[in-house]
Amino acid sequence: MMNYQNEPHGVFFLIDNKSFYASVEAVARGWNPLKISLVVMSEASNTNGGLVLATSPEAKKRYHLQANVSRAREVPQDPQLAVVPPRMNLYIKRNLQINDIFRRFVANEDLMPYSIDESILDLTHSWQLFGKSPRDVAVRIQKTVRRELGLYTTVGIGDNPVQAKLALDLYAKHDTDLIGEIHYSTVPEKIWPVNHLTDVWGIAHRTADHLNRLGIHNMYELAHVDPYELKGEMGLMGQQLYAMAWGIDRSQLNKRRGPKNASLGNSQVLPRDYVKQKEIETVIKEVGEQVASRLRHHHKQAGCVSLGIGFSYAASEADGRGGFHQEMRIAPTDQNGEIVAALIRLFRNNWDGQTVRNVAVYTSRLCASTGLQLNFFEPAQAQIKRAKTDHVVDAIRDRFGFTRLVYASSLQKGGTAIERASLVGGHNGGNAYE
Amino acid sequence: MNDDLKLITERLDAGFKRLPQVRYQVQITDDPYDKTYNFFLNYQHRGQRLKSQPLHSIRQYRLTYLEQVVKGLREHTKLSIEYVGFTGQRWPSNQRLIQSRRLNVE
Repeated sequence: MMNYQNEPHGVFFLIDNKSFYASVEAVARGWNPLKISLVVMSEASNTNGGLVLATSPEAKKRYHLQANVSRAREVPQDPQLAVVPPRMNLYIKRNLQINDIFRRFVANEDLMPYSIDESILDLTHSWQLFGKSPRDVAVRIQKTVRRELGLYTTVGIGDNPVQAKLALDLYAKHDTDLIGEIHYSTVPEKIWPVNHLTDVWGIAHRTADHLNRLGIHNMYELAHVDPYELKGEMGLMGQQLYAMAWGIDRSQLNKRRGPKNASLGNSQVLPRDYVKQKEIETVIKEVGEQVASRLRHHHKQAGCVSLGIGFSYAASEADGRGGFHQEMRIAPTDQNGEIVAALIRLFRNNWDGQTVRNVAVYTSRLCASTGLQLNFFEPAQAQIKRAKTDHVVDAIRDRFGFTRLVYASSLQKGGTAIERASLVGGHNGGNAYE
Repeated sequence: MNDDLKLITERLDAGFKRLPQVRYQVQITDDPYDKTYNFFLNYQHRGQRLKSQPLHSIRQYRLTYLEQVVKGLREHTKLSIEYVGFTGQRWPSNQRLIQSRRLNVE
């Protein structure tokens, strides 16, 4: 038996929204999220006919659909089924409202939004203010969200964050009250009986295959290997998996670590095969300008740019690689011209006529934008003027919308900036240049 | 014509393509959570999935205002209107029920 005495003991909730996007859309239409068959389908030009982003519980049950995996062609033509377009901005707004509700139950530093529909709450210090048991408090939070926003929430309860997460994924989603609990005392009966490793958070098929090769096929076996051997084989991840099998998690939510090296970038899947150099460069230029604009909004300059190009299926079979990726150090800048010039150079160095389907631009080595580095080779006035131009364009777009002022190249064949200006996360809904 | 009505009719006209074998309908929902009235264009090809396109949300959460917008909408289109979430509520001008009965998916 494991001695849990020195492990952190607290009260943690992991709360997620039942079929978040689908539920938000159902509520907006006055339909009950649990009764209606509804899918949220993105029909942007690059989704190859349509991509299901979310599915209501009823539609999941009836048609065996999965969110984010199903394509439009897999969705049956049933008159009972409603199909709606996504509205990403609305979901972001709802997420903020839900977290505001959570803040009535925990202090701000004890709340950690984990994704657009999941949050981790540390109720160790506050649960007693709201009920007789953590479960009571969970019910109260669920009722508050349902009453004020019309949405159903699922709650995983644990003595630490990983137990809460496992309780949510393994039990709460199938529970009639939509609540699941795992504690140190119930780890053997709740975690070990899990027979499919991929049902567990953090284990996808590659990790599962690796574990299978080591003779580990379920959570019981994972909990009963020699942790030192597992670490020798899989490194730190092995140690972490072993800890998870015993329900151990020593992370402290209120001591958050920022990323070591922040980066900022955008990528896009193109709506068709791009073959012509000019068209591809137009898109690279647009994405580069978008990233530069975001750098300026964050008051950062980038010391490194990277370009990733993905080939079309046919081209990658002929070429043997799926694409290429290269990065380059530059003098720190947030200007369109310099970033785009670096990207075009990277592209011309690597591209050899392949058809392109995917463009990604990232900037890293970010530093605070405190001034403009002048160079000797041009008059200072010209350099200052150019830097100002970018800021004026940003200001006009902030005020009147992105499409009010676009570069002529975006109007040429192949440009995608105008079409993408209203997308959020690649789907319908809002301004993506902030 | 006020701004709300203008937006609704513009978007309605863009979405109402008059395709054969397709039923078009305007849905108006009382959203008590956001305190808005939400407008949708619902259309369905015979035997196929229902598609529901958002048109607009009215922020003035008063039935007298809604009645005014619906009156304008009626002058603009002959599409039938389905009301959801209005069970028990009556139009201020003539005290008629807005929604005759509750849907079973509400």
